[in-house]
Amino acid sequence: MSDVTLDALPPRRFSWRRRILEGGGLWPAVPALVYLAVFLVAPIVTLLGFGFVTLDRGQVADGSFTLEHMTGVLTDPLVWRLTWRSFWVAVVATTLTLFLAYPVAYAFSHLQGIWRTLLLVAIISPLLTSALVRAYAWIVILGGRRGLLNQTLLSTGIIDQPLQILNTSMAVLIGMTQIHLPFMILPLLAVLAERDRRFEEASLNLGAGQVATFFKVVVPMSLPGIVAGFALVFAVSYTNFIIPQLLGGGNYSTLAVQVYEQTIVVLDWSRGAALATLLLGSCFLMILLITAVGAHLTRWSEVPK
Amino acid sequence: MSDLEIDRLSKRYGKLQVLTDCNLMAEGGSVVTLLGPSGCGKTTLLRSIAGFVEPDAGRVMVGGRDISMLPPNRREVAYVFQNYALFPHLTVAQNVAYGLTVRRRPRAEIARRVDEALGLVALSDFGGRYPKQMSGGQQQRVAIARALVLEPKVLLLDEPFNALDAQLRLTMQVELRKLIDRIGITSIFVTHDQAEAMILSDKVAVMHGGQIEQLAPPLQIYDRPSTSFVADFIGRANIMPVQVRAGRTDTPQPVPTPRPDGPAVMIVRPENFEVVPGNVAGWPGRIGFATALGATIEYEVDCGMPEALRVSMARAPGSGPLAQGTDVTLRLRSTDGAIVLGRGAAHV
Ligand SMILES: Nc1ncnc2c1ncn2[C@@H]1O[C@H](COP(=O)(O)OP(=O)(O)O)[C@@H](O)[C@H]1O
Ligand SMILES: [Mg+2]
Repeated sequence: MSDVTLDALPPRRFSWRRRILEGGGLWPAVPALVYLAVFLVAPIVTLLGFGFVTLDRGQVADGSFTLEHMTGVLTDPLVWRLTWRSFWVAVVATTLTLFLAYPVAYAFSHLQGIWRTLLLVAIISPLLTSALVRAYAWIVILGGRRGLLNQTLLSTGIIDQPLQILNTSMAVLIGMTQIHLPFMILPLLAVLAERDRRFEEASLNLGAGQVATFFKVVVPMSLPGIVAGFALVFAVSYTNFIIPQLLGGGNYSTLAVQVYEQTIVVLDWSRGAALATLLLGSCFLMILLITAVGAHLTRWSEVPK
Repeated sequence: MSDLEIDRLSKRYGKLQVLTDCNLMAEGGSVVTLLGPSGCGKTTLLRSIAGFVEPDAGRVMVGGRDISMLPPNRREVAYVFQNYALFPHLTVAQNVAYGLTVRRRPRAEIARRVDEALGLVALSDFGGRYPKQMSGGQQQRVAIARALVLEPKVLLLDEPFNALDAQLRLTMQVELRKLIDRIGITSIFVTHDQAEAMILSDKVAVMHGGQIEQLAPPLQIYDRPSTSFVADFIGRANIMPVQVRAGRTDTPQPVPTPRPDGPAVMIVRPENFEVVPGNVAGWPGRIGFATALGATIEYEVDCGMPEALRVSMARAPGSGPLAQGTDVTLRLRSTDGAIVLGRGAAHV
């Protein structure tokens, strides 16, 4: 039967012209690729390039290729301390978002109709205001004696000394977790809301309770979403400089804050660029690590036949 | 071996009455098939037994014990899903071990029982694979091993052969029936394929519009359908309105019946009619359409009724069908083979 149909088709002739015209399906992506090349790759290459030349009044000095800025940055113990701080702040904030986001996404998958829509609006609406505005909002809430939090706690008599949260790592973690929460919820929501409930029924049928079913079936099968959310939130937390600056206080610095200060305040573009190279490079390595661990944990999803 | 009994089970979803007063009895170790067209409520009934659906009324009893109030994880009733629902993140052996692991059985016991169960379905060498690496037929066997390793009291299977191609289907049907006989487990099967029901079951429950219309052994369902729906769904049937007078029908060949006088329907299987030439006692008609199928010849004969009557006759070697338009007479081979039902049973 299938042989007959194959024979009936005219033999397909190989043609280079055809090959190029079809372009392996790449042509539709060309506008996006051009856009990315001009507005993303070119600026990044330029910026990173500044870390390897000497700048003289905004001009690249001729023949001034140098590794001096890069080695200066890499041998500075302060830089490593800040990198370490950036790293653990991002890891802790990302882990917190994961634990806060998972129940929300799970609840979403069990809601129906209008409740589901309302929850989705609640999840997405923070994205309508800029992160800057939300960081300022946290200053209002956490700030000093007159901050919303302290006022409430003091007036209800729960505490009698104001809590010092603003201008500490705690404030940075709180702000970062809240501001990046939607980026964790959305990928989790995608896998949890679409999941096939029969696997949970199968688990119950085999004698597992609701809790065992959740940890042995729901969570492992949502790992692709967890990995995606973790990588995304880690990247935005690790490279964010606004939140540490505003909520950590003037002397709280991270690697990303250093990049900002060297470039905008100190106007040492070469050192700023070298720091940016370190920031992007280490972030990239970390994302590679997360996706590699993720691929190992979800290897069942793409096993060969 | 435990009996399974379903007692006056009903379920509605909003305005839709999906199950109405379903009664069913499966003796220990027997196989009962729920057979009916798509949407008649088979899956809902099966899911009620497993506890995934909470019925509005009625009870489910296993071995004389009412399990209606138990949560699904404490029913000891194994469910094989339509697409098997094997956990994709666990290997075949881990899938089979799942129920034992959550029961915290000792590791050595788990290993031994998983080996046995995989051996039972001839998959001993496949324990390390992931479900995605298995063919449809193998996945089905894993699902069955995963269910049977827990030694459940009842095995429920929802259209287990749907995902398989026709060739494999027949082999698996026979294999499964043999396996069930070997371990002797009470099983309920869902299918919309009547041939499958015939192969697999000790009893068939024909469902229609949320009700069980008849529960009987397959041949009895075929020979003695209790409604015209059953007659039409199991095999083919000619359904004719008739009048009963003094214990017989008013047809050209009267059929004796215990039914009271009045309107009724008569059901005749195509193979219970024969086509004879000339004018004898019977249904006079004209050949409308003829198909020679090799072993049989199928006729549609126009006898002046709203629908042509269907006839199936054995074909003698070398002979062909009668020409279209030939005047013939239809006769009953056996008046006992014709079934007379009240008009109330005559909905299709
Ligand atoms: N959860 C549900 N909510 C609403 N209607 C349902 C639900 N489950 C099944 N139904 C309806 O019940 C009827 C019977 O469904 P089902 O038991 O799946 O039939 P079958 O398995 O015989 O094809 C169908 O009309 C279906 O649409
Ligand atoms: Mg169904």
